Amino acid sequence: MRWLGVAPALMAALVLGCIALPLRAAEEEARVLMLYGLDPYLPPFLAMDKAMRESLASETGRRVVYFSESLDSQRFAMETLEPELAALLEKKYNALRIDVVVAISRTALDFFGRHGERLWPGARVVYVGFLGYEFKPSALPPGASAVLSILDVAGTIDIARRLQPGARRIVVVSGVAEVDRRAEQQAREALAEPDERIPVEFLSGLPLPELEARVAAEPPDSIVIYLAQFRDRDGRPYEPHEVLRAIVKTSRAPLYGAAESMLGLGAVAGSVASYESRGRLVGEQVRRALAGVPADPSRTVLAAPNRCVADARALQRWSLDERRLPSGCDIRFKDVPIWRQYWWQIGLTLTIVAGQAMLIVALFAQRRKRRLAEQAELAQRAVLARASRLALAGELTGAIAHEINQPLGAILANADAGDLMLDSGTDRREDLRAILADIRRDDLRASEVIRRLRDLLGKQKFERTRFDVNEVVSDLESIMRAEAQRRGVVLEIRRAPETLTIVGDPVQIQQVLINLVLNAMDAVADESEARRAVVVSVAKGETGAVLAVRDRGRGIAPEHRTKLFESFFSTKRNGMGLGLSITRTIVEAHDGRIWAESGPDEGTVFQVELPLAIANGTPSPQPA
Amino acid sequence: MSTTPLIHVVDDDPSMRTALLRLLGAAGFEARGYSSTGEFLLQPLPDRPGCLLLDLRMPGPSGLELQAALLQKKIMLPIVFLTGHGNVDSSVRAMKAGAVDFLTKPVKRDVLLDAVERALARDATQRAAREETDQLHVRFASLTERQREVFDRIVAGKLNKQIADELGIAERTVKREREQVMAKLDANSAADLGRLAEVLRRSTAK
Repeated sequence: MRWLGVAPALMAALVLGCIALPLRAAEEEARVLMLYGLDPYLPPFLAMDKAMRESLASETGRRVVYFSESLDSQRFAMETLEPELAALLEKKYNALRIDVVVAISRTALDFFGRHGERLWPGARVVYVGFLGYEFKPSALPPGASAVLSILDVAGTIDIARRLQPGARRIVVVSGVAEVDRRAEQQAREALAEPDERIPVEFLSGLPLPELEARVAAEPPDSIVIYLAQFRDRDGRPYEPHEVLRAIVKTSRAPLYGAAESMLGLGAVAGSVASYESRGRLVGEQVRRALAGVPADPSRTVLAAPNRCVADARALQRWSLDERRLPSGCDIRFKDVPIWRQYWWQIGLTLTIVAGQAMLIVALFAQRRKRRLAEQAELAQRAVLARASRLALAGELTGAIAHEINQPLGAILANADAGDLMLDSGTDRREDLRAILADIRRDDLRASEVIRRLRDLLGKQKFERTRFDVNEVVSDLESIMRAEAQRRGVVLEIRRAPETLTIVGDPVQIQQVLINLVLNAMDAVADESEARRAVVVSVAKGETGAVLAVRDRGRGIAPEHRTKLFESFFSTKRNGMGLGLSITRTIVEAHDGRIWAESGPDEGTVFQVELPLAIANGTPSPQPA
Repeated sequence: MSTTPLIHVVDDDPSMRTALLRLLGAAGFEARGYSSTGEFLLQPLPDRPGCLLLDLRMPGPSGLELQAALLQKKIMLPIVFLTGHGNVDSSVRAMKAGAVDFLTKPVKRDVLLDAVERALARDATQRAAREETDQLHVRFASLTERQREVFDRIVAGKLNKQIADELGIAERTVKREREQVMAKLDANSAADLGRLAEVLRRSTAK
């Protein structure tokens, strides 16, 4: 549409050009007509076209406008359509000057030869040919240049024979379209070389199903060369790649192709010209033509270089050794080149991954450090709790000694009595038996006291078990009673009628209890006899087991209440001020809470509430 | 009145109590057990020689409290204390209040039996002294009014003549009454009389 709008301006420029700017219009816009003899959408053409346009765009200051026409000769018979096609093109390009015609394929060049002068007067021709061997420079119109590629059947066969030194047969596949025939002709010429000793068979224009069956029947030690098949003998048109894709699937023998686009579709290797380099050569010729550079007779025909290209995947499929390829062969689709191809994306990704990894490592290190710190804190707390238990035990020495010496005293007295009975000479067997039974019982009693003490004092670590809070009270009852007697305090113990199971460390809960009882006894030490009483009770509260220790002392002074559970706060002369602070730490580690209620002359009650264990699945207290 | 001593064992721990009773029994003593100070006090105390083997620490009134109660009731039963864990304070208190010994469990047989023997010995001495005093009182009660007046003055160290003057009686009468007093109180000299007077004074002052 654009050129229609431009045309009147061009006319005006021509009129004015006689006076002032004769070259201006021509320099402003270059027009290039791409004249395809075949389907312009074939992959080789697309690749070449792209490279050509890029090359032109980067090297020409002028704006280039492209036109495109296709003769489509492989599908339609030129002979019958040509007059009408020429008439149509004449009508289309009547008022349009074309600077360069790029004639792609021999059909297009021939068409230009017949009609170019009339349709596109003054246009220079750049010919793009595919079967370079048969080209004769005399076929070119004056001022024309040619970019030729060579269907290097000989080179391709050479590569095939290197890869398959023991090959017994060569099969050449081609079609029967004009272009097919010419390719086949070249192949025949190449294979007619005297040193080719192995039999060659040509499969020309077989309908696809038949061709597939035929190729599939070839033994693995055959070489199959695929030239191209645009049409079969029944006149059915094909897209050459479609044929290659079909036969490559079932072929047991390696397939070779002489065009770049065939590598990657399954062909093993071939001596091919790159479309890109060909496209750049075309671009250069077009640029020269536009610039008005006179055709250089010596460089008129340019052949894009052929080189060995192989497909690593196909080599692997047919178990061919890539080291047999000629040196410098371009092996494509290898696994390795991926990181070369995408080096910066991969590099960026790796950098990000590495960064994340470092971040993760740093976070882990931080977490570990924090865990170690937490463990150290736990260990420290355990040590402190134990130290506090040892201090408690110190206060209880009298009671403990009493509890152990009582059975020991009985044992000794019993043993002495037995001794004396034996000395007396009379048979007092029944008495002796009773004595031994008592000794045994008292011995166990003493060792039980020691076991409890070991539990209380020996243990360092936090252990988590399920236990009844009542048991904790029972375990300590004898020692607490002994201590109460020593101090002249009446101790009352009220257990809960039901089992109150909690989860935690029984030794630490014992510690809590001892601490509170000793505190309570201290609180009533200086009271009259009637008030020297401490009540320990276990009961089921609304949300857990409640352990209460009540005394009838003077209560807690209001100014001390807020500091009650703080470390190093004590109102006792010899107190370290750790007891209640550790008690609270332990209670909180069991997900419980501790509080005190106190009124003047009412005494004080300390209450500890601990969550009851759920039947299955237990809450998990933190070790203290 | 039986003369064999009875040892009273007060200990709340049944095991310890049984063992002590067995040991004392095997050692040839007669012993009786009580589980608390209250139980001991509620039982009538037989008039027999004996001693008390007392646990220091018990529920309810302690051994020390029983000791104090017995002193108050003038029950002179010697006490041997036994304790699971004694401290200086309680042992001093016990000994000051007249305990025979303060033993710590476990106690060796010899030590225990020795303490028991000593307690019984003390009890015997105390009983003998008490008997003497009792006899003295009986004899003293047999003195006439006049003889008591003479006794008081002899003990005060006065001569017969002074006594005769003070009482307004003949010196010869004083002399005869004096002989009567000496005979009734079974004394040989004025010094003897002075000792008896001291015993009487102390026992009535209590």
